Amino acid sequence: MIDLSIRKQLGEFGLDVSFSVPEQGLTALFGRSGAGKTSVIAAIAGLLRPDEGHIRVSGRTLFDSASGEDVPVHRRRVGYVFQEGRLFPHLSVRDNLLYGQRRSPVVNRRIDLDEILELLGIAALLGRRPRDLSGGEKQRVAIGRALLAQPEVLLMDEPLASLDAPRKREILPYLERLRDELRVPIVYVSHAIEEVVRLANLVVVLDSGRVAAAGTPEELGERLDLRPLLGEFESGAVIDASMEAYDAVFDLSTLAFDGGRLRVPGNAGVIGAKVRVRVRARDVSLATQKPVDISVQNIFEGSVEQVAEEPGAYAELKLRVGNTRFLSRVTRESVSRLGLRTGSRVFLLVKSVSFDRETLSAAPGIASAGQRGHG
Amino acid sequence: MLTDFELQALWLSLKVALRSVALSLPFALGAAYVLARIRFPGKVLFDGLVHLPLALPPVLVGYLLLLTFGIRGPLGGWLFETFGLRLAFTSLGASIATAVMSFPLMVRSIRLSIESIDSGLESAAATLGASPLDRFFTITLPLMLPGVLSGCVVAFAASLGEFGAVITFVSNIPGETQTLPLAIYSAVQTPDGDAAAARLAALSLVLALSGLMVSEIIARRARMMLGGGPE
Amino acid sequence: MSVHFIRVFLLVCLWASSIAASAQGVTIFAAASLTDAMNDVVKMYAAKSGVGVKSSYAASSALARQIESGAQADLFFSADDEWMDYLEKRSLIDKGTRFDRLGNRLVLIAPAGAARKVEIRRGIDLAGLLAGGRLATGDPASVPVGRYARQALTYLGLWAFAEAKLARADNVRFALTYVERGEAPLGIVYSTDVAIARGVQVIGVFPQESHSSINYPIAIVAGRGTAPVRAFHGFILGSEAAAVFQRFGFAVR
Repeated sequence: MIDLSIRKQLGEFGLDVSFSVPEQGLTALFGRSGAGKTSVIAAIAGLLRPDEGHIRVSGRTLFDSASGEDVPVHRRRVGYVFQEGRLFPHLSVRDNLLYGQRRSPVVNRRIDLDEILELLGIAALLGRRPRDLSGGEKQRVAIGRALLAQPEVLLMDEPLASLDAPRKREILPYLERLRDELRVPIVYVSHAIEEVVRLANLVVVLDSGRVAAAGTPEELGERLDLRPLLGEFESGAVIDASMEAYDAVFDLSTLAFDGGRLRVPGNAGVIGAKVRVRVRARDVSLATQKPVDISVQNIFEGSVEQVAEEPGAYAELKLRVGNTRFLSRVTRESVSRLGLRTGSRVFLLVKSVSFDRETLSAAPGIASAGQRGHG
Repeated sequence: MLTDFELQALWLSLKVALRSVALSLPFALGAAYVLARIRFPGKVLFDGLVHLPLALPPVLVGYLLLLTFGIRGPLGGWLFETFGLRLAFTSLGASIATAVMSFPLMVRSIRLSIESIDSGLESAAATLGASPLDRFFTITLPLMLPGVLSGCVVAFAASLGEFGAVITFVSNIPGETQTLPLAIYSAVQTPDGDAAAARLAALSLVLALSGLMVSEIIARRARMMLGGGPE
Repeated sequence: MSVHFIRVFLLVCLWASSIAASAQGVTIFAAASLTDAMNDVVKMYAAKSGVGVKSSYAASSALARQIESGAQADLFFSADDEWMDYLEKRSLIDKGTRFDRLGNRLVLIAPAGAARKVEIRRGIDLAGLLAGGRLATGDPASVPVGRYARQALTYLGLWAFAEAKLARADNVRFALTYVERGEAPLGIVYSTDVAIARGVQVIGVFPQESHSSINYPIAIVAGRGTAPVRAFHGFILGSEAAAVFQRFGFAVR
């Protein structure tokens, strides 16, 4: 458990954040730049000293203004992955990786070099200097270095922000593996909703130094009131499903979710694997009668829970299929023509081709745990 | 090729300059670190004091050294009573005079190299469990090494050329304090010393130039090593 | 590279507190040992005639070199004949204006209260008096007081011993300072220097015959004998200035 409640005045900007996150899994701190995300993890690491409050990780108090405790950075045992990597330019990759491990007590060593090399795919880089690495390689080494220091929590400050799209795609699977295979809680700062939705078990949304909302990506994705905060987020529902079958002839996978089956292109994993699917609102069409002779593979029957009309041409609808929520974005004209309102029975149509590598990912291995958010 | 007199002045100059660098380095490291990294009231004054030898006439610096490190000076008296050490009229005194004069140059070079180190690297080392001292020796010091080396070479070259402070503090004694510039001075002061002076001048020119070239080469090597590539 | 060019280059490296004299007014280059007396003379002259005189004090050698390379000096007041001869040989002074003006005595000094008087003669125990310390004086290679000291020590049969014991100051005032500060137990300076110094005492006077007579010649620099310069030259040679020089311990000729 990371239990945190801090206040800090930084010039005009006031930070006042409290939250608790579980012992495992990945918690995303999400918000626009300037929302105070980095300040929060800097405070956890001890790089920023709060004016008041407390910070506890796994029952260990790192900071408490009431008792005067303030553990120095180097004794906090937090791994920190900086946006720019910050590899030591005068040391080889190997010495960078081992820098923290050599300084950690032997009894704490749960993660060893071989495991990290395999997990992050960096065995071939050991003899190189940081200047000879690509941006993505640097970031993987930085992550490995932080983990080998045997931290009790891994803090990541927009580790993908400085990378281009191909490099991001290169690293994302490694981050999923970290989340699922290591027993180290991760606090992940990001302003990119796609990363957050793909990686997080839990999201804490920060706005102007305060917690605006907290919950699972599914819960937050459905909250239409958070739309302005989530920014240019392509609205959509997040569905955790499991791999049921793969049809090699047509190269299609069938995923089971609470309310039906979803057919997506490609091989989405081994049978039984958890797969997280993001169904974009604009990819969901609606019909009041079940269509026949249609190319669309995924047709679900469900009900309208809420209709939110927006200024302009569009409306967004919250729908329920079994126990699963979907979002649909259609024109206001269609809503009016079909007479859709809360409680209407509708058929949802989702084209299989609307799924791609951006919308399919391994689901977090740990089910979302309880959270509380205040402030 | 060189006369005994010239060789003597040359070796003495090298000895004085080397000792001068060794003497000032620890203080220069400290001063540069304080100036680059620590904020405190009166920092402008401290900065000014460090740079003072650049602005003061060297003869005045030599005179102040005589007042301070002389046998009746506060520091000189203590050194003599405690260690039996006398500085005036000795080559060690000459080293102190050149060390003081070249101190600002060395501090400047080291300070720049500290300022160019991303302090984020030290924060990173801290999160990896390195204590402040550990961080200084494993991160800060290695990264500032190019600046330290070039600072040393520049100070060495400046020490080879220092005149006013030396002649005032330790006078002009052949074999003890008569470095190349002092030997040149003596030669010029002698009505028929022009040719001897020209030879000595050529010698110190070669020496100074090689010093500065070595400094540049070291700096370039170090930049390459640290991954910046040549600038 | 011509010798002249090298010389100009070397002079750039030279330490000298010379001022860049302006074209107007009167500028005198005087030996460092004349500093205090000349300052009084200049002040007196200014009060009397209203003419400001700029003065630059340094070792006679340095001043002569500067005049040789074209420094804007009108008068040269040297602490010895050698550097005046040097300029005269090169026709850089007006021969007709050269006069031997002042004389001085060579004395042995010690820090105040440190030693008793000694009679300076052949066989004097210089090593015992130095007690391992150094004998401060001007650099015999260049500074006049050092040259006189060498003559005197040679005459006394002490040069072989003393040569390695000298603290060779850049000018006579620093030799005085070394003794004053206790760095050197003994020094050889002019009697006039002691007159203005605190913290030192004369422990012996060198016999006249032990060194050539100490002479301060003055001359107008060639081509600079304007009316104001000549007037000041005349004032230095007059009785009012003579009284000042005597007050500072010089023998007036």
